[in-house]
Amino acid sequence: MSEKQTKQSTAPVKGGDTLKRAVGFIGTDNLSLMFALVFLVFLVTIVSGWFGMDGGDKFFSWQNLMNSLAQAVVIVGLIAIGETVVIIAGGLDISVGSIASIGSVVAASVLVGVGTIGSLSFLTGNVVIAVMAGIIAGMIAGAINGAIVTTLRVNPTIATLGTLAAFAGFAFLLAPEGKPVGVMTQPNFTWLAQGRFLEAAAIPALGGAKWTGIPVLTVILVIVAIFVHILMSYTDFGRAIYAIGGNATAARLAGINLSRIKILMYMLSGGIAGLSGVLLAARTTSGNPINGNGLELQAITAVFLGGAATSGGKGTIVGTFLAVILVGVLNNGMNLLGFNTFIQRVALGLLLVAAVAISQWRQARAESSRTRIANAG
Amino acid sequence: MTETALSNPPPLPLVKPGTLEIRGISKAFPNVQALTDVSLDIRPGEILAFMGENGAGKSTLLKIINGDYQPDTGTLSMNGQQLTFSSPQVAHKAGIRVIYQEPEIIPGVDVAENIWVGELPKRFGLLDRTRLNEQVRGSLKEYGFESALPMNLLGDELSSAQRQLVEIMRALKSGVRVLALDEPTSSLTDDEVDRLFALVRRLRDEGVAIIYVSHRIKEILQLCDRVAILRDGNLIAVKPAAELNDAEIVRLMVGRELSSVFQRKQAGTDREILRVENIKSNWHDDVSFRINAGEVVGFAGLVGAGRTELAKVIFGELPKNSGHVILDGQDVTIHRPDEAIAMGIGFAPEDRKREGLVLIRSVLENASMAILKQLSRFHFVNSRLERSVISKFIEKLRVRTPSLDQEVGKLSGGNQQKIVLARWLAAKPKVLILDEPTRGIDVGAKAEIYRLIDDLANEGLGIMLISSELSEILGLSDRIYVMQNGRISGELDGKTATEEAVLGLAIKDHFAANPKAIEISNQKESIL
Repeated sequence: MSEKQTKQSTAPVKGGDTLKRAVGFIGTDNLSLMFALVFLVFLVTIVSGWFGMDGGDKFFSWQNLMNSLAQAVVIVGLIAIGETVVIIAGGLDISVGSIASIGSVVAASVLVGVGTIGSLSFLTGNVVIAVMAGIIAGMIAGAINGAIVTTLRVNPTIATLGTLAAFAGFAFLLAPEGKPVGVMTQPNFTWLAQGRFLEAAAIPALGGAKWTGIPVLTVILVIVAIFVHILMSYTDFGRAIYAIGGNATAARLAGINLSRIKILMYMLSGGIAGLSGVLLAARTTSGNPINGNGLELQAITAVFLGGAATSGGKGTIVGTFLAVILVGVLNNGMNLLGFNTFIQRVALGLLLVAAVAISQWRQARAESSRTRIANAG
Repeated sequence: MTETALSNPPPLPLVKPGTLEIRGISKAFPNVQALTDVSLDIRPGEILAFMGENGAGKSTLLKIINGDYQPDTGTLSMNGQQLTFSSPQVAHKAGIRVIYQEPEIIPGVDVAENIWVGELPKRFGLLDRTRLNEQVRGSLKEYGFESALPMNLLGDELSSAQRQLVEIMRALKSGVRVLALDEPTSSLTDDEVDRLFALVRRLRDEGVAIIYVSHRIKEILQLCDRVAILRDGNLIAVKPAAELNDAEIVRLMVGRELSSVFQRKQAGTDREILRVENIKSNWHDDVSFRINAGEVVGFAGLVGAGRTELAKVIFGELPKNSGHVILDGQDVTIHRPDEAIAMGIGFAPEDRKREGLVLIRSVLENASMAILKQLSRFHFVNSRLERSVISKFIEKLRVRTPSLDQEVGKLSGGNQQKIVLARWLAAKPKVLILDEPTRGIDVGAKAEIYRLIDDLANEGLGIMLISSELSEILGLSDRIYVMQNGRISGELDGKTATEEAVLGLAIKDHFAANPKAIEISNQKESIL
């Protein structure tokens, strides 16, 4: 019997089962997120009207979907994707917001050639170099996190709480006289945040919706999400991350080099945070040392909402991606309906607690089914 | 030592003895009928054994007695009074205690506090440390567990054996009518087993009803008054132990005859595959030994003799201060387990759940973990190759799993152990270290694992077999090293060695106080 089922699971899914395949990709755990998303959209667009609130009808306009929503979720979304990897491995990286600030300042400085970093640069004005510099700065910061956690054996929450403060300060030290570095005069750079693909193309199928193109930011988010999804699902690195999060001792005794994987993982998280800092600089047209402040909270919220386990070993990039959209729709919907930002903050905080509570409840349920089966007899 | 303890028993909390009557208990889980109409009396002043293969229903029955599960039908009553246990706490109040193999231990606090948790003696609202220590020291001394369970150890430094002792001390402290022990000796050495038996017998004589669950027939016949045998959720027989023998019990348990203890025939080659020279570490004082290709070398000794630590030192999991490891003629330096694996050493640890497996991941991922590098190109895992390689070993080991994607935590103990073994078969090491490979595994799976060890050695592997089961060591080993207090106290030929000879070497000067005799559990794992 075991043989039969094994073969079944290896057999390729038949082409006709598109729905099945889609569910397989999204994952059964993530279906509830899809339902939550649909429900939230229903609340924003339909239910709000019943209570006499205006603005819900604007939700489905191309303008809103592609400008407000798709762009708003990108920065948090990127950081959340890196954070997902760390949380699956049973760690936590609180310093991502500060790393984003560093990435933002470094990229801007290199681009316009100011400050300590800028003076070293011999290629001012080159967007590619500036973006790379921001990412590499983030990776270096991540490597520092990794080294503290592995070599000095500091608990990751404490370690990155420390570097959250340290990197935030460092971002100011990097900026000339601690002031933001303006990049308004660099259209090639600000294009990263303000540009559109296919702006001119007309899509007849969309009919009445006003087509405004696909934001570059959104494309970057999707590319990074796919990259990390592949990394986690198909590579030995991804396997190691899941194994470490599930049982670090067992993973080590099965030949996984914990220190190496952990350092790489914090570098990945840092590099992505650095990239999101670069994009923040492009969007706000300045490499500001406070650019990344507070991003960690939203990102961590999204990861837990996306179904990652607080104890590690469980979680998916798809889940996080859906959760990021969910948080985005929540914020966007509240904006459209005219709730003020303070209410939005309260909602976000409550959402984090709810997400973790749901994740804990799921774990407890999985645990009890596991022990029940193992002990059934 | 035990005698002196017996002559002066400390007062046990007074609890009126009572008969626990189990009537018509049935319990079903999805896809499994775990228990069918089980009726049984558990009488005071008697030791009753529960026997059966894994999956026979022993654990479910214990869990119902302990209030972890509610039966679908049937009742529990004590002296005619019906009991309903909504939780273990309610059962504890009624004087019923089940000591599981892996009791709840609070990691950061010491043994004394762990025993008295929930009822710590207070003085001016603060912990009365002096009184606590006096009480715990007193009771440990009386039961003869002073050296086995040093009071100052923290919860996470305790070995499995020590964790169980803590749980037993908890039960005794609050008074028991019915005490159930689930495989209590699976991680104890013979010396500790003797003390435990003395304790169990004394409790029986004082009117406690004892349930004793074990796979070890010899122990059961030696200790128990009656034996209840379960098979596939049914109570097959309840007989006085005096009317039973090994063969009869096995027949009742499996419903078929089993050849007695495995006996390895073929001996190893003369080609040396592993030589360890003068290893000194925090746990070892000058250990040297060798293993030839195709040889099964048994490592016997008491818990705390340093056998597990020796395996971990060789495997690079624990540090050594000096000494050499010569693998296949080459002097190798190993700092980490991944280096050991790359050089051809495999290690199946004693504690599957804590050290061997990632329980929330799949059979496939667990089994392929040590060979991911070979299965990957440019870091991409070739999943078709992976499935074909792993399913071969899963079939060879006859692992019962619905699919390769099954979560390992949902398999039974024997099948979990086979996953660990499949991992090492796939890795094709030169030397395989097996630490208590059959602990907590049922008779059928045990026999399969013995045959497998024999096959592997015949294929040319050098096997280091650490076991606390003497019959296992004697039946399988070509040569036997006996360890004691971090040294090798003797080497015996597997063919001619006797239990007495092994034991003699294991306890040569056991009573000389040596702080190293304390089993130091694994390094604490820093959470990322």
